[in-house]
Amino acid sequence: MRRFLADANFRAGFAEMMPACVAMTPFGLVCGVGAAAAGASLWGALGLSAIVFSGAAQILAVQLLAAGAPLAVIVLTCFVAGLRFVIYSAAMAPYLRSLPPRWQQGLAFLLTDQAFAAAIRRFHGGADPREGGLHFLGGGFALWLFWQAMNIAGYFVGNLIPASWSLEFAVPLCFIALLAPHFRTMPTIAAALVAGALVLALAGLPMKLNLIVAGVIGIVAGTLADFVRERWTPR
Amino acid sequence: MDATLKLWSVVAIVGALNYVSRLSFIALFARRHVPPLAVRAFRYVPAAMLTALVLPMVVAAPGEPALAAMPKIVAALAAGVVAFFTHSTMKTLGVGMASLWLLQALIGRIG
Repeated sequence: MRRFLADANFRAGFAEMMPACVAMTPFGLVCGVGAAAAGASLWGALGLSAIVFSGAAQILAVQLLAAGAPLAVIVLTCFVAGLRFVIYSAAMAPYLRSLPPRWQQGLAFLLTDQAFAAAIRRFHGGADPREGGLHFLGGGFALWLFWQAMNIAGYFVGNLIPASWSLEFAVPLCFIALLAPHFRTMPTIAAALVAGALVLALAGLPMKLNLIVAGVIGIVAGTLADFVRERWTPR
Repeated sequence: MDATLKLWSVVAIVGALNYVSRLSFIALFARRHVPPLAVRAFRYVPAAMLTALVLPMVVAAPGEPALAAMPKIVAALAAGVVAFFTHSTMKTLGVGMASLWLLQALIGRIG
């Protein structure tokens, strides 16, 4: 641990993650509030934030737990929502290929939306694998540490935050920050339109099943639109 | 099922599945051939899943008066424009929350 703390790349990664940590504060608080509202113990809330370590999965899990959904539905919904990590993993893989397996396994645990965005920018900028890996470790560790603190804070004092602040609106905003930059190609927009229309049309389905159905059909629509675009693009 | 057991099952299973997703290409498939169709489909996961996740948090819940959701929808659109051009979570959050508070205050004054 001391070896990392002294490393310039690790420290730079840690420091550069601070704005993202601040931006994730309301989201972390809302996750903690949700865990408390679902009746989780402090250890249960910490287990969610420390091990699952994904705001989207945590929010869905506590909402579904509170609604009394069966375990299989909770697991499936959180898994599908977490499929975007597969894409991040694929995008990161070429840059981490030369690192030892233990490093790959460690860094994979810290692969979140925010850490991915920071790391991929750096690797595209031409960082070498070892230095980039240490930078990623620093940033990922900072985010993990902050996330635990915000979840615990939300668990204990989240209910003191006035409802008129609409703090929970920070959650969709964090996802909009990730989502909006994607809207640059026709198939991506098709995927979003289909998923969006379906999730609202099927809002009556129990246990947030509309989320999985809309997400999966949206992915299919995007893939089909991709084939169509390929066929119509002059070679 | 006992509530504590259920929560820890969620932690263990979702935690493991999330980790496998994160590890997938970095370690498991790094030297294996991935079907081109899967690679193509993966590209549309964020747009579809994030949209499905975000919309119900913004648009009016069933039974909620339409006017109550208006500030959220307008604030979300403003935040989307900022996110599209800046790629910054902080600026998106700032503009989104400020727009929401402003619109709620305005509606409070009229209503």
